[in-house]
Amino acid sequence: MISLSDFNSQHPHGSIAVSVQDLGLTYTTSIDKKPTLKARLKTLGRGKKHSRIVRALNGVNLDVHYGTVLGIIGSNGAGKSSLMRVISGIVPPTQGRIEVHGSVSTLLALGVGFNQAMTGRENVYLGGLAAGMTRAEIDASFQAIADFSELGEAIDAPMRTYSSGMFARLAFSVAAVVEPDILIVDEALSTGDAHFKAKSLNRMKELRTADRALILVSHALATIEDLCNEVIWLDKGKLMARGNPTEVIAAYREFMNVRKSASSDEDV
Amino acid sequence: MSQPVVVYEPFKAGLPPMRAYLRSLWRRRAFISEFARSELREQNYGSVFGQLWLVLNPLLLSGVYFLLIYVIGGTSDETRFAHLTATLFLFYLIANSLTGGVKAITSGQRLILNTSFPRIMLPVSAVVVALFKFFPTLAVAFAIHAILGLPYSWQMLWAFPVLALAIVMGLGMAILISCINVYFRDISSMLPYLTRSLLYLSPILYEVSSISSNIKQFQIVNPIFYLLDSWSRVMVHAEAPTTYAMVHSAIFAFTIFIVGTYFFLSRERDFAVRL
Repeated sequence: MISLSDFNSQHPHGSIAVSVQDLGLTYTTSIDKKPTLKARLKTLGRGKKHSRIVRALNGVNLDVHYGTVLGIIGSNGAGKSSLMRVISGIVPPTQGRIEVHGSVSTLLALGVGFNQAMTGRENVYLGGLAAGMTRAEIDASFQAIADFSELGEAIDAPMRTYSSGMFARLAFSVAAVVEPDILIVDEALSTGDAHFKAKSLNRMKELRTADRALILVSHALATIEDLCNEVIWLDKGKLMARGNPTEVIAAYREFMNVRKSASSDEDV
Repeated sequence: MSQPVVVYEPFKAGLPPMRAYLRSLWRRRAFISEFARSELREQNYGSVFGQLWLVLNPLLLSGVYFLLIYVIGGTSDETRFAHLTATLFLFYLIANSLTGGVKAITSGQRLILNTSFPRIMLPVSAVVVALFKFFPTLAVAFAIHAILGLPYSWQMLWAFPVLALAIVMGLGMAILISCINVYFRDISSMLPYLTRSLLYLSPILYEVSSISSNIKQFQIVNPIFYLLDSWSRVMVHAEAPTTYAMVHSAIFAFTIFIVGTYFFLSRERDFAVRL
């Protein structure tokens, strides 16, 4: 299989992969949907505020070591995706510091960089290049991607003829061949039909080696418990608990049940 | 063994480490060309002629002006027709860079929010798209030149530096406007009027020699005025451009490029939270 071209250094088990120190992230979102000149001018001099501040993350400290599969749980809006975006360098933090030792690949959304007008084959290249692979690397792993997606001849059909399941299968397959030091996956495992779900779960298990760190965000607590050897629980941007998956998940479940009984967030 | 360590700290307006930035931009050159190709394909997707439109567009455009000058105008002024088409094609390179660039960041939202890459790639791809559209027009311009029996000379090699300046100008404008559009979305609505004004203010529908010196003195603020004049001299008249015109174009091209790139690079880490 392949690895991201520049970084193929081996990381000893237990050495630090990601270090997050006192991380804070506040978004200033505009109240107006779009920041236009007109909106600015209309309220000029009236002292009206155009933005409000959202605290997405607040004083988070976290170390991820190589060999760890870290699960991140929490309710909607807890800051899970924000944390992933900061670690992968997409959004700069407002406070604190993050050190990343190794190459990072993110799977935050499926099919990033795909173009509906192109065929599945062309999108494999487009998606792979967007993920930071080189053309030669994609050439080398194209067959593996096509096989994994199980699309058969549909790989040469335009993407807009695909069903959403087929789209997701191809997108996951492209992402699954990248073998970075640190892989960050956000809610991408529950795609496709039951058969493909099991397959992608297996792929994640394969990626779980001693010289790699995996960070997994999911609402599927059973999957998290199955895959991870460490779990953190975020709530309203704060780190609530960290440690053994079974214990943290139990605490989270209890917390959720106190807040709203009955209905669970479980989806796999 | 050195491990790559990346540190993320709070955003401050300032340039990123340039060597690392350029290296990662260079590493992604294949993505830029593939991305530009897919953009082009998408624009012509589902049309009968497909990518043939890249040649059909300039042909039809020159056909319209043929109608205007020869049929309606009733003149048979060859240089005027050749001047008009040649400069119009170069003008479209700049205008397409602007129209492609203005939406480059805002429409790349999904990409920006989910992957980490040098953001300047997006306006650069917009210019690559504009270049892909420009090259077929060059063939059409040469065909017109040959059909009309206009002169050739070694001075036409000046086309290379003039085109290079046009590309630098297009890049600078695309990068600058894509960044402005993140903060002021209104610019994308204003753009059609901006390019239209630029079209009329530039020596395309007329030649520089035909305007009064009174008006000409204001043209010093038009960044592409002397660029188009140089292009016409080289491509139509087979003459060397004037030094003044080249210096004027170079100053504008590099100033816009440097200002635009600085503005973009110092703000790009802030884009993700503004989309």
